[in-house]
Parts: sequence; structure tokens; C-alpha cells
Amino acid sequence: MKNFLALLLTLFLGFLIVATLGNNNFFPAYGDVDVTTRVSQKYIDRNVNGGSEEVIYGQATNLESGPANTITAIVADYRSFDTLGEVTVLFVSSLGVALLLGGAKQKRLELNFKPNFMLKVGSRALFGIILMTGVYIAIHGHLTPGGGFPGGTMIASSVLLLYLADDEFRAKLKGFKMLESAAGSAYVLIGLAGLIFGGYFLVNLLDNGVLGNLLSAGMIPIIYVLIGLKVGSEISGIIDNFLTEEGV
Amino acid sequence: MLQYAAIVLIMLGLYGLLTQRNIIKIIISLNILEIGLNLFIVSVGFVTDGLAPIFTSINNSNHLLFVDPLPQALVLTAIVIGVGTTALGLALAKKIYQKYGTFEIDEMGEE
Amino acid sequence: MSAILLIVVPLLAAFVSILFKKASSYILLIVSFASVVTLNYVPLEVINIGGFTAPYGINLVLDNYSLIGLYIVDSMFFLVIALNCIKFKKLSTILLVSLAGLNGLLLTGDLFNLFVFLEVSGIAAYLITTTNKKPLATFNYLVAGTVGSSLYLFGLIILYGMFGTLNMADMANEIAISGVSANALAFPFLLMFIGLGVEAKLLPFNSWAKGILLSANKLTGPMIASVYAGATLFVFGRILTTLFIYSDQLVLVLSVILIVGIIAGETMAFSSKKIRGVLLYSSIAQASLIVMLFVLGITGWATMMIIVNIVSKFIMFSIASHTNDVLGTDEIEDVQGMFLNNKTIGVAFTVAALNISGLPLFFGFIVKMNMLTDLFAKDGYFLAAVILITSVIEGIYYMRLILKLWFTDKIAPKIKFEFSFQYVVTILAVLLIVFGLYASPVIALNDEVEDTIVYEGGIQ
Repeated sequence: MKNFLALLLTLFLGFLIVATLGNNNFFPAYGDVDVTTRVSQKYIDRNVNGGSEEVIYGQATNLESGPANTITAIVADYRSFDTLGEVTVLFVSSLGVALLLGGAKQKRLELNFKPNFMLKVGSRALFGIILMTGVYIAIHGHLTPGGGFPGGTMIASSVLLLYLADDEFRAKLKGFKMLESAAGSAYVLIGLAGLIFGGYFLVNLLDNGVLGNLLSAGMIPIIYVLIGLKVGSEISGIIDNFLTEEGV
Repeated sequence: MLQYAAIVLIMLGLYGLLTQRNIIKIIISLNILEIGLNLFIVSVGFVTDGLAPIFTSINNSNHLLFVDPLPQALVLTAIVIGVGTTALGLALAKKIYQKYGTFEIDEMGEE
Repeated sequence: MSAILLIVVPLLAAFVSILFKKASSYILLIVSFASVVTLNYVPLEVINIGGFTAPYGINLVLDNYSLIGLYIVDSMFFLVIALNCIKFKKLSTILLVSLAGLNGLLLTGDLFNLFVFLEVSGIAAYLITTTNKKPLATFNYLVAGTVGSSLYLFGLIILYGMFGTLNMADMANEIAISGVSANALAFPFLLMFIGLGVEAKLLPFNSWAKGILLSANKLTGPMIASVYAGATLFVFGRILTTLFIYSDQLVLVLSVILIVGIIAGETMAFSSKKIRGVLLYSSIAQASLIVMLFVLGITGWATMMIIVNIVSKFIMFSIASHTNDVLGTDEIEDVQGMFLNNKTIGVAFTVAALNISGLPLFFGFIVKMNMLTDLFAKDGYFLAAVILITSVIEGIYYMRLILKLWFTDKIAPKIKFEFSFQYVVTILAVLLIVFGLYASPVIALNDEVEDTIVYEGGIQ
């Protein structure tokens, strides 16, 4: 009976949402969006603070925001405060998982299967390839889709592969903790440096280069690499906490 | 079409949250709700025949028609926040299992 | 001295403190004290982050309203930490992040940034409640909080689809010049209201509050019921006054929800058997009342009401949780007469309780009286009647509680309260009495707040 009532309620809510959005004159139909009326047009034109340069790939130099990937420009430059909050959320989650599941002495969780020798050796080779892919995606965040967050997650998934393939493997957590702390503090310190030298928190201090080159976009590749390292070490820490238990 | 699918997913997630009594299923329903919401956010920014907002050697000028990049940036943040919450929820689930020995809420007598 | 240091320095301290585990509680104390001190030196301004003007960048708004909110929340946070940090060393980093998140909530002027900080402080709150050792209650809190934030984000995205901007002031501007009918806005506003209401413990979205606060310990009780509740209500106030435009249907729906909340909260408090239960349901009723005042536009007195609530609930929850720690129970029948042996604590608790019910000579009375005057001026007769009736119920159960705790015919339990705790609690109680007798600074403060908050939404 309760399930039926819940079903009725959700169906009613679904119809309500569809009807309200359909009747709303101001809410655009799917695909009918005019980007020029929204805030985003200035992000694409890179002229939030004025400026009238044409944005041409391979030719425009020292734009207001350097990356060729507009979404990276939004995430790491125009709205980088949100990214700082996001990094903090992951930080607190990983800290919380360690608080709940961690302890002084931990050993690997006993599982029902034992991986065989071929798996243990073969996974080491695959580990290198996945790690390289993750690093590539994190570094090229300003030119291709991706960036620090997917890159860091891929780095963590390579660590997960080693955990799954070898039932005695444990990563060096102390090093991860230092990496996490250093990367996070570096991000905040870059922002503070912007406050001291540029007058605003998280101002881009380096030169922005030519649009589309690998060495362009000022500090954004550096920030993305820091984020990638932080995310990778945090998720690896979470994986370790889940796959261990009390004991020696 | 995509917006209807997103709303269906959100409603599925809500239905799951209202009716399920197993901790893991509640976490899964929460994730479905978040996926539906992220899909909806991205769909708000779609422009028909628009290009992906990345300048490449082919799409090299800002006078071309791009899709709206801001909802995609918002979704990046929302996905990561969802991951953080799910990790915490699963750690709590492991703690609950250690304390009560089951994942069914109805079998955990004392609160 | 820029206000952004209030958010950035606790974050930096949090990132650094995981390397220095031994010194982390000292870092926490120093940083929270420094944030209260810094509030005296920050200029009131709008800060553009990254140099990008709003609405293209994120901006932080420090006006009179945020300044009052920051003062109260940060001072209460510092007091909770100072009384508890020795026992909860492992949580120092999380408490630093929580401080940064609360400051961010109060300062931000961008709607999506509000969502991010809501999640940051929310996750820190879930971890603080794990000290209760009830993982199922924390899990319910996590699910409720996440659903609330998701609904808020849903409403926000519908607003973005309609107007194309994410900044609070800019969106209010766009709504005003676009001439959209208030009915079209009712649905996204309702979603945002529900989303924030889950965190603010409004009935009927408060399923998590019972599990967490009924078994709260000395850190969780004051933190969730006083500091977090206050910050969430301040944020609610800012959104309800700067952004919302009220159509008749929306006011009707919101009024029904909130008045049900007030009545149900007070009746449940009346029939509760534990001290913390009485306080919890009273908090729910007060939160609904404060939000109702914001909806009607009585912003100054609603802010004062938040201050009364934060201080009083801090005193009462700390006392109740400490009682539970020492005696193992806080059923009213079992702890009868406990104030006979702890006179200072008893006096402080009595002062706090009488404040909330609004008896004369106290700060709470001035707030209630002025609030009712403003309500009558706005023809809110039904709400005023509800408030008066529930005040009577409130007075009855608080009186009953206080009498039972002072007088008994059985042997009074003996509880030891630390001297620092008695000291802090007494000072706060004295402040509540002082501001009850000297009304003029309070009224001046209220006028300042009313001038700052330009009440954009009117009942149309």
C-alpha cells in the first residue's frame, strides 16, 4: 500500500514538473536556447572585463582567460571559488571515511578468492598505462575535455587495479597524505598570492600565452595538475580504507 | 526528449528513497536522483546545431555557434560533490553493518 | 583586511593541520578566535573574486546583515569549540572546514556558490554528528541533507534557464525588469524553499532532527541546534528577502507549511518527556516562526529572534547534554531538582528558557513585543493569533520544565559542571538580561538591518 502511494506521489510530481516547465514562457524549449542572453556569451568571448580581441585558435595571445577549453576557463578561472569548495568537499569526505573506517593497525580485508600469479604481474603493466592516461588528461585540461578531476580519478583507478589484482598490496598512505595536504595548501596559497600581488583572490598571475598551445593559459595547467594529484591521492586513500580492516 | 528522461530518472530516485528499506538500495536511489539532476542541468544548456565549446584548429573562432558552457561547468562540480557524499554514505553503511549485522532498516530494532 | 580571509584562512589551516595532528586543536582554537577578532576590522563591501565583476564572477557580500550573522555564528562557534576541543581532538580538521563553510554560507552572493558551501558545511555536520555513535541517525541526516541540496539545485537551474544568470542581486534585478508573473516563479521558488527547509529543520522536512538531537552530546547538541541552525536561518532570510517574489498561491502554500510547523512543534514539545526532546521540538517551532516572519517581510525582528534562539539554545543544549553525559539520562522525571545543587547553572537555564517564551525583563520579550506590533501593522492577524496561542503553550511547558528541575521531593541528583562552563553560561545569560533592560541598542540594530535588507519581494 505504501509503495502504491509513493508511486502515485512521484507520478503526480513528475507530471507537475513537466506541466509547469511547459507552461513557463521564460523557460526555453530543449535546444532553443539563445546563448547571447545568458552570462555564458561573455565567457566564450573572453571579454568579461571589457576588451575586444577576436578569439582565434592559434593566433590570439594573452586573452583575459587563456584556455582553449571554455569550460576549463569557467571552472578554473572565472568561477574558481566553486572549484575550491568542490576540492574541500572531497577533502572532507576522504577525511571522514578515514575517521569512520580507519584505525591504528589495519590489514587487508579477507576475501573469498585468491588472484593468481598472472593477474598480479599483468596488472603492473596495465597500471603504468592507466596512470599515464590519467596524467595526460589532467595536464591537457585546458585543451581537451577532462581536466584535473577525471584525470585524478583515473590515477586512483590505477591504484584500485593494483588493490584488486593483488590481495597483499597496500599503498603508502603517509606519502598520499602529504601529497594531499601539499596540493591543497598550494591551491589556497596560489589564491592568496593572487590576493597579495594582484589585488583579488585567485587572480591569474602568469602570462596567458597563445590560445591553443600546450604551454598557455597561465596558472591553469598548474592548478589542474595540483587538483589531479589531490583527487588521485584522496580517492586512493578512500579505496584503502574500504579494503582494510582491524588487525595486524 | 532528454529532459523527459532526466525527469523520469529524478522521479525514479525519489520513488526509491520513499520506498526502499535497505541501506545500499537507498544509496543507489540517491545516486540515480543525482544523475537525473545532472542530466537535467546539462540539457538546460543545449543549443541545436551548436558545437562543443572548445576552440580547436577546425572550430577556431568565437563567432561560431557554441552550446552553453556554464551548465556543464556546474555539473562538473555537482558530480564531484555527489561522489564525496556517496563515499561517506558507504562508509556509514559499513559502520552500520558492523554494529547491527544487517542492511535492512526494519531489522535494526533499537535506534 | 578582506572578508575573504574569513573563508580562506580556516581552509588553509585545515589543509595544513592534517600534517600536524598534535597541534591541530590549538590551530583550531587560534583560527576560530582570530575570525571573531577579524570581524572588527573588515570594511563593509562587495568583494569580487578573481577580479571579475558580478554576475560573471562570484562575489561575496558583506553588509550589516551578514556582519551581524557572522558575529553571532562565529562567536558561538568559538564558545562551543573552547568548551569541547580537548575531548574531540580527532575532529579538529573537520571543525576548521566547518567554520570555513559556515562563513562562506553567510558571505556569498552567488546562488551556485551557496549550493557548494551548503554541501561543504553539510558534510562537516554529518561528520560532527558521528560522535553521537549512532550511525543510522547520521545516515538519515546524510540522505535528507543530500535530497534537500539536490532540490535546491533543481530550483536554481530552472531559474537559470529562465533568466541566464546565477548571481543573487543580478537575478533579482532580472526578475524585476522582465515582468514575469509571480505564478511562473512559484514552482522554482518552492523547490528552493523545500531544499533549504530540510537543513533548517522546518516541519515536515525534519525527519533527521529527531535522531540526531535526541541523543546529542556536548559537541553535537550546541553545534547543530545552535550554530548550524542559526547560520541556515540567516541564509534563508537573505534568499527569502532579496530573491523571492511572492504570488498568492506561494504565500498560501508556505504559510500552511509553516503554521503547521509552529503548531505541531509546540504541541510535540509539550508532550515530550526528555529535556532534549522539549528543546528539539521547540527549535523546530521557532525555526518555522522565524521563516514565516521573513516571508512576511519583518526582517529586522526575525534576525533578532535568530539571535535569541542561538544564544538560548546554546545554553540549554549544553546543560542538557552534560546532564546526560554524567547521569546517563535526561528524562525529566529522573533529573528532578537537579538545579538545587547547581544554582548558577539553574539560573542560566531559567533565563534562557524564559527568553524564548518571551517573558518581560528579557531580550526575548522585547523581540516578541516588537514583532507582534509589526505583525498587527501588516494585518497579519491570523499569524499573530497563532503566535500568541503557541506562546502560552510554550510558557506552560517551559515553566513546567523549570519547576520540575528546581523543586523535588526526592533526592536531588548531584552533577558537577566545570567552572569554565558555568562562567561562559552565566555571561551569556547576563547578556540576555541586559539587552532586555536596555532596549535602545537593540532597536538601533534592528533599524540598521531593516535598512540594509531591501525587501524586494512583496506580497503581490
